[in-house]
Amino acid sequence: MKGLIFNIQRYSLHDGGGVRTMIFFKGCPLHCPWCSNPESQRFQVEEVRMLTKCLHCKTCTKNVEECPSGAMVRFGTYMSIKEIIDIVLKDMVFYRTTGGGVTLSGGEVLSQPEFAIELLKELKTLGIHTAIETSGQGNTNALMAIVNHLDVVLYDLKIMDPTLAKELLNADSSLIEANLIALVKKEKKVIPRIPLVPGHTMNMDNMNAIMNLVLKLNLKEIHLLPLHHYGATKYDALNIPYKAKDIKVPTEKEIAKLKAFFEGNGLKVCIGG
Amino acid sequence: MSFSRIEALKKQLFENPREVSIERALLYMQSHKETEGDPIILRRAKATAYILDHVNISIRKSELIAGNRTIKPRSGIISPEMSPYWINNEIDTLATRPQDHFIFNDEDKKTFSEVLYPYWKGRSLKDYISDKLTDEVKATTRLKIVTLNQTDKGQGHIIPDFENILKKGLGTIVDELKNYHKKDQTNHFYQAAIIVHEATKRHISRYAILAKLEASNTTDETRKSELLAIATISEKITTQAPDTFYEACQLIWFICIALQYESNASSISLGQFDKYMYPYYKKDIERGIPLSALKEILKCLWIKTNDVVLIRSENSAKYFAGFPTGYTITLGGLTSNGRCAVNDLSYLALETYQDIRLPQPNLGVRINELIPRDFLLKTAETIRLGTGIPQIFNDEVVVPAFLNRGVSLEDARDYSVVGCVELTIPGKTYGLHDIALFNLLKVMEVSLKELEDVPNIGFDQIIEFIKKNIEYHVNLMVKGSNLVDIGHREYAPVPLLSSIIDNCLEKGLDITEGGAKYNFSGVQGIGIANLSDSLYALKKIVYEEKRISFKELIIALDNNFEGEENRLLQARLINKYDKYGNDIDEVDYISSDLLRYYSKVVEKHLTPRGGHFTPGSYTVSAHIPLGEAVGATPDGRNAAEQLADGGLSPMVGRDSHGPTAALKSVSKLDGYLLSNGSLLNVKFSPSALAKEDGLHKLADFLLAFMKLKILHVQFNVVNAKTLKEAQKNPSKYSGLVVRVAGYSAFFSDLSIQIQNDIIERTEHEL
Repeated sequence: MKGLIFNIQRYSLHDGGGVRTMIFFKGCPLHCPWCSNPESQRFQVEEVRMLTKCLHCKTCTKNVEECPSGAMVRFGTYMSIKEIIDIVLKDMVFYRTTGGGVTLSGGEVLSQPEFAIELLKELKTLGIHTAIETSGQGNTNALMAIVNHLDVVLYDLKIMDPTLAKELLNADSSLIEANLIALVKKEKKVIPRIPLVPGHTMNMDNMNAIMNLVLKLNLKEIHLLPLHHYGATKYDALNIPYKAKDIKVPTEKEIAKLKAFFEGNGLKVCIGG
Repeated sequence: MSFSRIEALKKQLFENPREVSIERALLYMQSHKETEGDPIILRRAKATAYILDHVNISIRKSELIAGNRTIKPRSGIISPEMSPYWINNEIDTLATRPQDHFIFNDEDKKTFSEVLYPYWKGRSLKDYISDKLTDEVKATTRLKIVTLNQTDKGQGHIIPDFENILKKGLGTIVDELKNYHKKDQTNHFYQAAIIVHEATKRHISRYAILAKLEASNTTDETRKSELLAIATISEKITTQAPDTFYEACQLIWFICIALQYESNASSISLGQFDKYMYPYYKKDIERGIPLSALKEILKCLWIKTNDVVLIRSENSAKYFAGFPTGYTITLGGLTSNGRCAVNDLSYLALETYQDIRLPQPNLGVRINELIPRDFLLKTAETIRLGTGIPQIFNDEVVVPAFLNRGVSLEDARDYSVVGCVELTIPGKTYGLHDIALFNLLKVMEVSLKELEDVPNIGFDQIIEFIKKNIEYHVNLMVKGSNLVDIGHREYAPVPLLSSIIDNCLEKGLDITEGGAKYNFSGVQGIGIANLSDSLYALKKIVYEEKRISFKELIIALDNNFEGEENRLLQARLINKYDKYGNDIDEVDYISSDLLRYYSKVVEKHLTPRGGHFTPGSYTVSAHIPLGEAVGATPDGRNAAEQLADGGLSPMVGRDSHGPTAALKSVSKLDGYLLSNGSLLNVKFSPSALAKEDGLHKLADFLLAFMKLKILHVQFNVVNAKTLKEAQKNPSKYSGLVVRVAGYSAFFSDLSIQIQNDIIERTEHEL
């Protein structure tokens, strides 16, 4: 069994506690305009030229293996469980000393559920702390099967209004809400994560809706993830229009205000995860 | 009150530019002229005694700890008896050279040229060494494969037995020496040691007299009582053992100053200060002395350790940039019976350093499975200040490393750091820890060149040939080092220092004659990261992918990758082949095998004093000048570009998988063999360590480091942005202290090349 993975990042510190290895699944049913990893969206291997590294050879081979500078890159590799585990095990010492582990992220993990379950089973056999980061857009049964092997779920809450969510993100907000409720019933540690995108998510209606849901479910902690533009160059390389390009990143003041808003309702708030 | 004293003392130290002082050199020469015909050890003792009796002394404003090597702060003292040549050659450039400026006034220059230089020309240590070095050894030093150190200055790199000095006091030590002398009247070492000890006692008395005199001249009642306290203490410790923390600190510093007059050497280090000073601390606290008073004394001592700077030749200053004077202190660790050695004074040492933030003392913390979380956090908190202090040593590796060298279990647990990162058994070792550097990458370059025209040469043959050359050049390094070792015996015995190193008294021998309990010579293998990166890329491109032939690669290197095709080749070498520092076994094992090979070759050799050579791997700042000596290499490095910094660090910019991967690569090297010490640089951005959470992250990171059995790690916690600012506006950042290599220095004191190197080191988020 193989999964389509676009990146494995060691030494991640903001996605589930301690030093973590992130396994990024490729392919996502949503298309959030502010997505910082556009290479995560398509369900296929992609090869592109990153101009920042390009040496502009006289004739370009357009071949990832041949390109001397590493400007030609491949996004996406079909990897076996063992190949991933081999990389994960390299940082075992750090998981143990820092309370870290492995986080599956995407793209959308729920889009490759069988692979995710097998991988998580193997991680649990090895006694490794596990987390996923998900949009919640996926089959409920699959999610329930996955969650049996998880310690923490980082669960995105982006846009609560069903019409807007469908139009802008291609998201089914009632499914996302139902999945969250089902997760909470399983008594798993769930931490909602809210992207802060001015003009899209950062209005008080949306924030109030999120707050109400979080309080209703008796959750204690949320993460606020302010928009950034670090992914912009990848959009160019992938030839995908970067629709959020002109949105200003939220100011520290705006972020502080929202933090206070959630904290005022008794929630623990972490900026940036 | 105490705050203003500390600030005033700091200011006083740095307000004027550094100068050269020829006072010691003149006094030494005057005595030397009178002792013609005496054995060398007596001539040295008499010269040191003459200096101690006649050198100008001072007690500076607001000082509580007395003892100044020179009247003007931070002056460089010269020792032309070791070599008058480099001073003569550089007499006019000392004030303007790229690294470590000193002003040399015209009158003193004239005295040097007309009196000192002619007297020492032809009769210095350097003459002895230059005459006796064989052509073969000279050839390898010219190639910059081997760099021999301490051919023109004191050996240093030693920790006196401070515990013993404090317990017994100078009077008892002199009595012991006299007893030994009675039993062995012809022994020159005993005679010499008695001469310098008596002179040291007189020297301390001079401070008592001066303090009294100054007390009578001042109208400030507070200062008067401080000066009278200095007088009383000095008078007492001339013969008696100290009873209080203050007295003990004062005695330690007087000994440090006397040792400076004797050998003008770098790194006569302070060892386990928290261990041997704890009894005095405890007694004072029990007697009700306020903690604030003890803190003030401690801070005064810390500031003092910045007053002694070593003036080096221009070339030497490139290798050891920014005054690593080596008042190195080792905190925590284990007791000799294997318990946790952290005590209240360990905390206090870090806390008081936090208020000082100068390059010295160079604090190090030993960590092991028993370290209390609180102390680990205090350590992390101090690191976070960004001065690179303290550095971290791992007992879980160092103790077994010493056992492997035949050191007893109790002594091994008692190890301490000397100089920058070198490891020693305090009070018992003459380890010549900084005797030579060995440029592994240059050996590879020379080897590849020699094989250039061998038809169908295979990769394994290349490796075997490099190993053969390592063996050949290590052999020459040993010959050179041993000659320098003998040179110091013949020209520069150190009876005062020897008398406070264990076993010298029993054996009746100076340390240079083999009097110490443990006798090592430590030699540093440098360039391991570039070496493994180069061989891995060579293996891939020539032997596995067969893109170019071995000969073609050598030609491209000869051309320093010039031309369009070579430019692409260089890009491929850099980007397409894995590098050390990314936790890839195939490349990491090349470095681990070759460093191990180097270590096993080194440890076979013997010193003239009976001990073994011990391998280390650290560069101080030598990765820059040693890089200048190496042409382009198959890792894509340009000719003359620097080598990887530190010793075990990955090449700058080539570790792209984060600090866990870098640490994992380092952990594959056989640290247990690097008993002379090694060095790993890690840079964090300040924001990464912010808040309580950041401290815990750093503490956890240190635990992981310990479990990975890495020997040493040190941190720079400063933004590249800040450093670039400091480069542009040095006056605004004159107090910025950064980590160079096993020691910290003022950023503004470093040459532009070393500044850039520190800026370039990969910065990690935590």
